[in-house]
Amino acid sequence: MTSSIVKISKLDKYFGRLHVLKNISLEVPERQVVCLIGRSGSGKSTLLRCINFLEEPSHGSIEVDGVRVEGGEKGSHHRQLVHDVRLKTGMVFQEFNLFPHMSVLENVIEAPIIVKGMDRKKAIELGEQNLDSVGMLFKRDEYPMRLSGGQKQRIAIARALTMEPRVMLFDEPTSALDPELIGEVLNVMKKLAKDGMTMLVVTHEMGFARDVADRVLVMAEGELIEDSKPEDLFKDPKDPRTKALIDRYRSGEN
Amino acid sequence: MNLFAKAESGAPKTQAELLFAAQQRKERHFRANVALTWGILLFLLVLLFSGPINIDTTFIKNNMLFIAGGVGETIRISILSIILATILALLAALGRLSTFPPIYALSTFYVSLIRGTPLYLQIMFFFLALPQLDIRMPGLWAGVLALGLNYGAYMSEIFRAGLASVGKGQREAATALGMTPGQTMKRVILPQAMRFAIPPTGNEFIAMTKDSALVSATGFVHELTWRAVKVGRAQFHNLEALIMAAIFYWTMTIILSYIQGVIESRLAKGDR
Repeated sequence: MTSSIVKISKLDKYFGRLHVLKNISLEVPERQVVCLIGRSGSGKSTLLRCINFLEEPSHGSIEVDGVRVEGGEKGSHHRQLVHDVRLKTGMVFQEFNLFPHMSVLENVIEAPIIVKGMDRKKAIELGEQNLDSVGMLFKRDEYPMRLSGGQKQRIAIARALTMEPRVMLFDEPTSALDPELIGEVLNVMKKLAKDGMTMLVVTHEMGFARDVADRVLVMAEGELIEDSKPEDLFKDPKDPRTKALIDRYRSGEN
Repeated sequence: MNLFAKAESGAPKTQAELLFAAQQRKERHFRANVALTWGILLFLLVLLFSGPINIDTTFIKNNMLFIAGGVGETIRISILSIILATILALLAALGRLSTFPPIYALSTFYVSLIRGTPLYLQIMFFFLALPQLDIRMPGLWAGVLALGLNYGAYMSEIFRAGLASVGKGQREAATALGMTPGQTMKRVILPQAMRFAIPPTGNEFIAMTKDSALVSATGFVHELTWRAVKVGRAQFHNLEALIMAAIFYWTMTIILSYIQGVIESRLAKGDR
């Protein structure tokens, strides 16, 4: 049995009085591709954002690649652990969030240089390699404003990869894209999955979940209601809420 | 522009080209008429002061150099003050983001105190009230301090808006990449906020070149207004002296507005 690279245990998250994540425990083995699906407001994005502490968990713990952080703590030791976890995770956002005042290459090499202290030459080499692998090296000196959404998102993936993370987190990476641009981003993600990257993907792309994921988690009202292989999920959903999700997807497909 | 050139060359015109040419004509007419009216108004103003209102041209000739000598001092005090104001405004705006109560309080206290008292009073305070406490400084520095403190408080709102204009996603992306809050501010937020804040800061600078005239009231800084009032009073030619100073100010602000426009259009072009 392979060891888990991400371990979430007994995680709770409150927004004010709203209980958005309810006692979530989850282990993700290395090289696994996990899709998180569910209606909006089900807590799937919040769960993802708790993993790299963009949201501070209220209770419970997160462990990434051996670094364990307890939620709801404070102080410099806690901050250091959170920083370590962030270095082990790369994140891709729905809205890309490229830095508009930097060129494509600068976007990609900025954090490796100033956060990891990487040698500039090495950062450029690595950055160009990653830009090439997402098919965006030809735009290395362009500025984000002049690029399409699909191109921006591919660059955002290259930017996250250049930090050499152990786990990649995707927060609805194709939801802000025009339909004809979704494919190019999904293809990059498929390639990444094939290369053995551990991936957690919050998505509405059922096709991607079915074809690429090793495992699909379904969330509803802050709870994990289903955890199964995609083929089982689509054939035989256990929870009626999952069934409703899948039926809606099927009717949209036809 | 290309379309327009084509339309004039006599090639067959499409309807779009005709409409575009008509629109261009309309815009040119408007600009020409505005320029003409400006010319007439300026002419009337000159006429007024050469006929019905009698002004002494020998006085103007004799004192031209003395009053013009104040332009440098006005520019100097404005530049030094805007530098001080920019630093204070940035600190005050950052202070407003602080979660540490004393820093937040210091920032809001400063802005409230300065905005709650008249600029003229603040200037007098530095020149007249501080010496009573045995705090004395050269006139220029007192003026720069007063103007800088005052404008810093107002400009902190500009910087605050600039910081607020940078989306939450930028901060999250930087954080997810492992940047500390300080690195995020310096490398991601501030450069974008600055681009937003430069045009309004230019406006403040233009306003400051005029407000620097208030410093003349202290008698210690020999800038434009002080010089005009001095020679005007002494020789009872206040009319000529003040008109001369006004022309200098007006010319300066026209030049500065032009520079401001150029910077603004450059920034807009580079807007990504």
